[in-house]
Amino acid sequence: MAAFITSTACISPQNTSNSLGFPNEINEYSSNILKCVEPNYKDYINPLQLRRMSKILKMGLGASMICIKNDNQSNPDAIIVGTGLGCGEDLEKFLNSITDSNEQVLSPTPFIQSTHNMVAAQIAVVLKNHNYNMTYCHRGFSFEEALIDALMLINDGQAKSVLVGGIDEMTENNFKFFNYLDYWKKENISNLHLFEHNNSGSIAGEGACFFSIKAENSNNATCINDVSLFYKPQSNCEIEEKITSFLKKNNIEKEKLDLIILGMNGDNNFDSIYKHLIKEYFYSGSLLTNYKHLCGEYVTSSSFALWLADCILKDQYIPDVIKIDKFENKIVKNILIYNHYRNINHSLMLISLK
Amino acid sequence: MLKIITMEELIEQLKQEIIEALDLEDVKPDDFNADTPLFVEGLGLDSIDALELIVLLEKKYGLKIEDPQERRSILYSVRTMAEYITANRKE
Repeated sequence: MAAFITSTACISPQNTSNSLGFPNEINEYSSNILKCVEPNYKDYINPLQLRRMSKILKMGLGASMICIKNDNQSNPDAIIVGTGLGCGEDLEKFLNSITDSNEQVLSPTPFIQSTHNMVAAQIAVVLKNHNYNMTYCHRGFSFEEALIDALMLINDGQAKSVLVGGIDEMTENNFKFFNYLDYWKKENISNLHLFEHNNSGSIAGEGACFFSIKAENSNNATCINDVSLFYKPQSNCEIEEKITSFLKKNNIEKEKLDLIILGMNGDNNFDSIYKHLIKEYFYSGSLLTNYKHLCGEYVTSSSFALWLADCILKDQYIPDVIKIDKFENKIVKNILIYNHYRNINHSLMLISLK
Repeated sequence: MLKIITMEELIEQLKQEIIEALDLEDVKPDDFNADTPLFVEGLGLDSIDALELIVLLEKKYGLKIEDPQERRSILYSVRTMAEYITANRKE
């Protein structure tokens, strides 16, 4: 199961949308909710279509249009989107209007746009694309499921090019709801000091990352070698076994991994898993990085990690801001991404330069 | 009870309400006249906008278009909408 990333686009809390590659300057936030830095959508979307769109639709459509533009591609054979929470803003608007108008005379737009598959559908409408169109809403597996579907379509020969993306927004209400469940830190912290706070909770984030994935390699495109998922592991030992078997299946030893991207989120209820792996499992000379201090924690944040891995492989540059411990940059030909969402949804992705 | 206003005042009021209801950010009331077609070649509105306009008539003027066949002619332009409101609103 392998395919090549020929183009990417990322709208995130960092200045990633207008640059091809990792940004030179890093945005620091002093609140526990990281909001996307959005591009001027009118550059990519017809204003008549844009006017009705909620933030997540703009983010998804904007990122997908940038991705397609970067790829000089007109229409993919499939459009696949992963989203954990879907179009929350429109859903909230619609539910509020039900109560505000006493269940009478509801505005149709928020209702129509409140479904999870609206982003993939809008991309298809704008591109006039009648091909395979799918949305995965599998909580912490949403993006990975979308990616696996894309890889399967390509490997089965059903598609030569697939547009695949991971997208989620953090509405004020969602932030509040998750706050009641102790998802976020109680004190406001700087995102750039996330890992210095050894207590419960993380920082909230959002993002839209899209990838143009193809069967054929071109211009030294990054290869997605494999993606693997596992659910609610019972122990650290089981996690180690899953990683070992994933690496074995892909004929690579852990000592040969050039870089590892970990999904640490600053919550000591969950980061202990990563810390255990760093101390007890990974090769002591492994180059270790993390990314959630840049984009915040959200259900499809692994798409940001994949975008980051693609940047590193293409530019052969590892930004200091993502390094867990200082190390000298070296040539990176393969990257393992390991992320888990609240110790429920665990995923592994192996990316390389062929 | 609705305030009695002239047809011209109603047209200007409707223009503003349409712009707000449909989030026509870049459109100003002076950009289109009372007879400009609202759909396709005129303002370029679509079927979802038509639903929003039906909701607008019901919410703001208490008018429900009972016959679906009439919708196309009533929603043709701001003037046709204003004429429908004038003819049907309850004093």
